[in-house]
Amino acid sequence: MGAVFSKIKDNLKEGIRENSENSLARKIAHGKNAKFIWIAVMAVLLTVPAYAGDYAINVMILMLFYMALGQMWNLLGGYAGLVSLGQQSFIGIGGYALAIVSEKYGLPAPLAFAVAAGVSVLFALVISIPIFKMQGVYFTIGTWIVSECLALWFSTWAWVHYAQGYNITVTYNLSAKQIYYVAFAVGIGSLAVVYFILRSKLGLALMAMRDNSAAAEVRGVELYRTKLKCFVISACVTGVAGAAIYLQQAFIQPSNAFGISWTVSMVFIVVIGGLGTVEGPIIGAVIYVLIRQFLYNFPGFSMVILGIIAIAIILLAPRGIMGLVQKWVSIDIFSVRRR
Amino acid sequence: MDEILRVENLSIAFGHNRVLNDLSFEVFENEVLGIIGPNGAGKTVLLNVLTGILKPDSGRIVYKGKDIAKTKIALRTRMGIGRTFQVPRSFEGMSVYENIMVGGVYGRLLSEKEAGAGADEILEHIGMAGRRGEIAGALGLLDRKRLEIGVALASKPDLLLIDEAAGGLTESEIANILEIVRGAKQKGVTVIWIEHVLQTMLEGTDRTLCIAEGRNVICGPPRMVMDSPEVHAVYLGTEEDE
Repeated sequence: MGAVFSKIKDNLKEGIRENSENSLARKIAHGKNAKFIWIAVMAVLLTVPAYAGDYAINVMILMLFYMALGQMWNLLGGYAGLVSLGQQSFIGIGGYALAIVSEKYGLPAPLAFAVAAGVSVLFALVISIPIFKMQGVYFTIGTWIVSECLALWFSTWAWVHYAQGYNITVTYNLSAKQIYYVAFAVGIGSLAVVYFILRSKLGLALMAMRDNSAAAEVRGVELYRTKLKCFVISACVTGVAGAAIYLQQAFIQPSNAFGISWTVSMVFIVVIGGLGTVEGPIIGAVIYVLIRQFLYNFPGFSMVILGIIAIAIILLAPRGIMGLVQKWVSIDIFSVRRR
Repeated sequence: MDEILRVENLSIAFGHNRVLNDLSFEVFENEVLGIIGPNGAGKTVLLNVLTGILKPDSGRIVYKGKDIAKTKIALRTRMGIGRTFQVPRSFEGMSVYENIMVGGVYGRLLSEKEAGAGADEILEHIGMAGRRGEIAGALGLLDRKRLEIGVALASKPDLLLIDEAAGGLTESEIANILEIVRGAKQKGVTVIWIEHVLQTMLEGTDRTLCIAEGRNVICGPPRMVMDSPEVHAVYLGTEEDE
């Protein structure tokens, strides 16, 4: 029995080895076809508003937004080993940047994106000083507490209309198509950010940390610095995404903007899609948005279904759908491998 | 011969358990110093202190004339102290080549291009040429141990600390590891090698240090140390009155 088992294991290893050498997917992704495939995908995404109805466009918008949020959470949780439950801090900051720039001061909305990015980076740097002194689960709780504090502070702050929040009226003049292109820029932009990070020197350290952070440190990776870089980059993009999301939602309130449900969905997306992979958050975001839409009329029920899926995936495929797929065929659609 | 490392009165305790007890010894440039000792003698703790994973309670670690007892882990690697772990800690999701890259890029601050250019030589050295694309997580034990040394060598260490590379390997596999360590020595690397397998100590080291209960029991030529009554006493206990 034991012999049979070890034989199967050997075969599996052999399979992984062969796959990693000459998988079909890799050939496709790295052959001459790669460029054309990407051009085709981009062309489809860019022309969605031309043939899709408003409902489909809105679903696509949600997918792109959640993909961006998932990518950024994955950068922290999947690579840097920073399990945050406080990414909603930056969504709120981004959303309020939009509200304040466009509503309070009547300035052009695009400026809000720059403000969102800048304030998020600043806030991330300041908050990192106490937060990074905490390790593991304390870091997780710390990030959450920061968000809760922000929610409380904004609810009692006259300058941001207390808990009443803002109607974001610029949205009224925007069509779904226009918002779609904003979402496209945010979604594809976040993907590009992650891809280029992973291809860079920083990415090499991140992949090493993902696999074994203690060993990475012994190999010369400065964990603190690398984590801080990820935290700041993730804050920046999440802040911009927050501004874009509230451009679509048209209404912002502290309880919603700084609510933990944002990060809960990010965690869900990354965990079911595949922690520490570029493809994971894409798969996760598509599944998450589809389930939510299908069960739109049963809000409580959709949470139950999402919960069951998450538990099933954690038990059956701890590395998510992408991890499961990679076990059988070595697919790297966004290959960040050095060779 | 100049000394590259001098350990002075190093002590560390976990609660009441003093694992290193005023331990002192020195390592000379380009020698292979073997360290033996019974389980719990403090061998791995010593390596953890030398690499900065553990902080000593007292004592000095003088590396190339500088006290590095307070230097951070990553910086010690960049100063030229490489290390392998008893249970290999390869980056399992990454390829053999990428594992080696991490060593060069972060352990020696090379560009990816420079680290990549040196990778072939290292793969050759550890006997894994032509296997750069394999995923580390799918490697067998010998390959992982070889890769572990390869990643450490990629940071071009002046001092290489090896923690039980031969444990769990067959005789011919051990010969393989011996060959790799000899190759490193030829390139001018100084080696501290912890091992239980006595064959490797006799064949692979220039001097052997025996520690027990965190103290320096005896240090000298391998054969002499192995045959010494002190080492016998440590491993087999002293005989009671006859």
